[in-house]
Amino acid sequence: MKPLVQVQELSLQFDAAKAAVLSNISFELFENERVLLLGPSGCGKSTLTFCLNGIYPRELDGSMTGQVIFNGKNTADYLPGELSKQVGVVFQDPETQFCMLTVEDEIAFGLENHAVPPSEMEDKIVEVLQLVDLLAFKSAPIATLSGGQKQRLALACILALEPQLLILDEPTANLDPEAAQQLIRTIQTLQRKRSFGLLIIEHQLDGWTDIADRCLLLQSNGELFYDGSFKEAIASKLASLETEGIWLPKVAQYVLPAIAPPYQHVPLTIGAYAAQPIELPDYTLHKQTETQPILQEPFMKLNNLSWHVKDRNIIQDVSFQLYTNEFVAIVGANGSGKTSLSRLLAGIQSPTKGDIVLQGKKLPEWRQSDLRKKIGYVFQNPEHQFIAHTVFEELAFGLRLRGLSEDIIIEKVSQALASCHLSGMEQEHPYTLSQGQKRRLSVATMIIDEQEMLLLDEPTFGQDARTNQELMQLLTARFQQGTSIVMITHDMELVYHYATRVIVMEHGHKVADMPTAALWNHSDEQLSAWKLKRPIPLQLQQLWERKCTHVFAAP
Amino acid sequence: MYLQRLNPSIKACTVVLLIILLAFIFDPVTPMLMIFFTMFITLAFGKVRWKTYFLFFIPFSIFAFGMLWTTLIFQKPPTNAADTITVLWWSYPRESLLTALALSTRVLAVGSLSLLFIFTTNTIDFILSLIQQCKVPPKIAYGVLAGYRFLPMMRDEMKLVHAAHRIRGVNEAHSFWGKWKQYSRFAIPLLASAIRKAERTAMAMESKGFTGDRQRTYYKSFSVVLQDIGFLLLMVAAFAIAAYLSFLLGYFKWGAS
Repeated sequence: MKPLVQVQELSLQFDAAKAAVLSNISFELFENERVLLLGPSGCGKSTLTFCLNGIYPRELDGSMTGQVIFNGKNTADYLPGELSKQVGVVFQDPETQFCMLTVEDEIAFGLENHAVPPSEMEDKIVEVLQLVDLLAFKSAPIATLSGGQKQRLALACILALEPQLLILDEPTANLDPEAAQQLIRTIQTLQRKRSFGLLIIEHQLDGWTDIADRCLLLQSNGELFYDGSFKEAIASKLASLETEGIWLPKVAQYVLPAIAPPYQHVPLTIGAYAAQPIELPDYTLHKQTETQPILQEPFMKLNNLSWHVKDRNIIQDVSFQLYTNEFVAIVGANGSGKTSLSRLLAGIQSPTKGDIVLQGKKLPEWRQSDLRKKIGYVFQNPEHQFIAHTVFEELAFGLRLRGLSEDIIIEKVSQALASCHLSGMEQEHPYTLSQGQKRRLSVATMIIDEQEMLLLDEPTFGQDARTNQELMQLLTARFQQGTSIVMITHDMELVYHYATRVIVMEHGHKVADMPTAALWNHSDEQLSAWKLKRPIPLQLQQLWERKCTHVFAAP
Repeated sequence: MYLQRLNPSIKACTVVLLIILLAFIFDPVTPMLMIFFTMFITLAFGKVRWKTYFLFFIPFSIFAFGMLWTTLIFQKPPTNAADTITVLWWSYPRESLLTALALSTRVLAVGSLSLLFIFTTNTIDFILSLIQQCKVPPKIAYGVLAGYRFLPMMRDEMKLVHAAHRIRGVNEAHSFWGKWKQYSRFAIPLLASAIRKAERTAMAMESKGFTGDRQRTYYKSFSVVLQDIGFLLLMVAAFAIAAYLSFLLGYFKWGAS
């Protein structure tokens, strides 16, 4: 069988970079094959995409050696734009892959580029919108779509061109779990309805293992170190997977410690585990935080808080109290008012009705500078919070505002740098740090002022697993020193492992507020109505117990 | 017939042509008649809510009134000072008043023509029609379209950065110099993200086969039909009639003197 794509000894280096992004990569993709390309953040996965669809070397500021052959012809020999009809790409950012304002115009844009006769366009647009279940939004402005809908639109735009190879470049990285799942389901159905090769580029595996026939593993220096089935990769390359920060499916992570090598039969999905449950050691269910909140004087009190924008009710009549030494998770569906609530708590927004009392004094009565010493807020995008031109000044900024002496500042900054593994980077510009370093720096700038409460808006969103783990370590350390933490999140594992209390939001109302352990006692129906899911370890435990009772009940 | 259905490029040409013609007229009657006519067709055939329309007219009116006032006061002495007109207990030299009125009605006429275009034209349609009728290179036109999408994103991001800096303890600036410094601090995060976004969008557009050349088809095609030419002729005819009426009334004057 003739391969669709042949990549031969491909190496690539940007002019400004010290090291090569891709080095000596060779692999083949066949027609209708579904391949998963895995690698840590920044290992050149996206660069490879541009090599495959012919944008590089044409638009490359750098050097490229080796060759990429598509359908027997070198990609460099295709006319500009010609290859884009055969190789379609869905990118990770839902916001920036469009250039038109409405859904139909955007799909038409690709068709226009390839000079499809206008009389055929209408039918094609309707057909692909049906495939991705967006027909109802045909003439809607793109700005009104949700993140998940935007990604499905991006997919529709590419499908309209009927490519032979579809590349998905971390398509779910910026989506919430539900939207991500829906996108994966859509792709699965598409695979059945239409034939095309599929290359999925990811740093995490959950959801994709069912789809892929084969996987390619890239390491951080841009070399390919494995090409074969994923189960085989777990058996033979487990150590490299871990050092490269390519994360196994969550189910496999929990099951691995309980079984002995070889690991060929490790379950990768809940479904696979359910077919053959095994007993898991107790520590998989162990929670990392067991601190009791100090329940005397509430740190913060919310009294019948409401917030309207024009005639939309965003927050409606929310009341609760926050105590010192609590780790609170605010959860709920998209658009349920989580972020708005956190903005109100931080005093960035003022409520329309009701008030917030912080240590006996209403928020508006606090002086802005005193309030900032009490409450810190970590935004989703770390860059938004950077003010200074070096990492050192970034951390010193808050301390200087407090008028501390230079000696103390130097001491505190070096402590903070050490605690978030940034020592030695004092003179770097914050923007030149890696994604994970930026995230840690933004948290460090907030905790260096020793605020009593820290609010985080989905701090783990769109980050790779290693970044998340480092971040959570930093937060746990802070929490154990007595800082209350309020975190908005979609990630049920985080809630399960770290939060002491959960607040569930729905349509701007607070619908539940309880200790984390009590949340999981609710029925599956109730949880899914709140758009929550039972965390993986509890699901595994449930399955194991079901099997045990089944065994014991049998005559 | 609605103004919205007209070809945007022809509409723009008509408006520009009339503004040029008005610039040669130096009497108050012709622009005045044009204002009434433009307003009439905008409100009658433009599906424009008259409240919004007059709201947008306010800035033009203020500007026109300022023009009227300053011209009246700072006019060079008229050649025929004895010929005066009395308006509301004040008497002005006839010549000065006519010049002032000519200037201010010209402002209003230009305003009403601009509003006719703005209220009845979709920006995207206009840009697409510029590519198709006026042969603007697609590379530039689609670049402008993509940029147009960015504006609201930039505004939202600006708000976010502002809030994020406030959280860091940066106090609200009150002096002019302080505000300048505050906005220049916003510039780096905003520029960094704008450049990154622009690059991503450019890559995504190329990945969909956009090369910038003219070998493309159009989902929404714009053509020039009889009614577009009709609109152009109608507007020019209205101008000619207005000028003729002004001539009959003895006001007509053209040129800058």
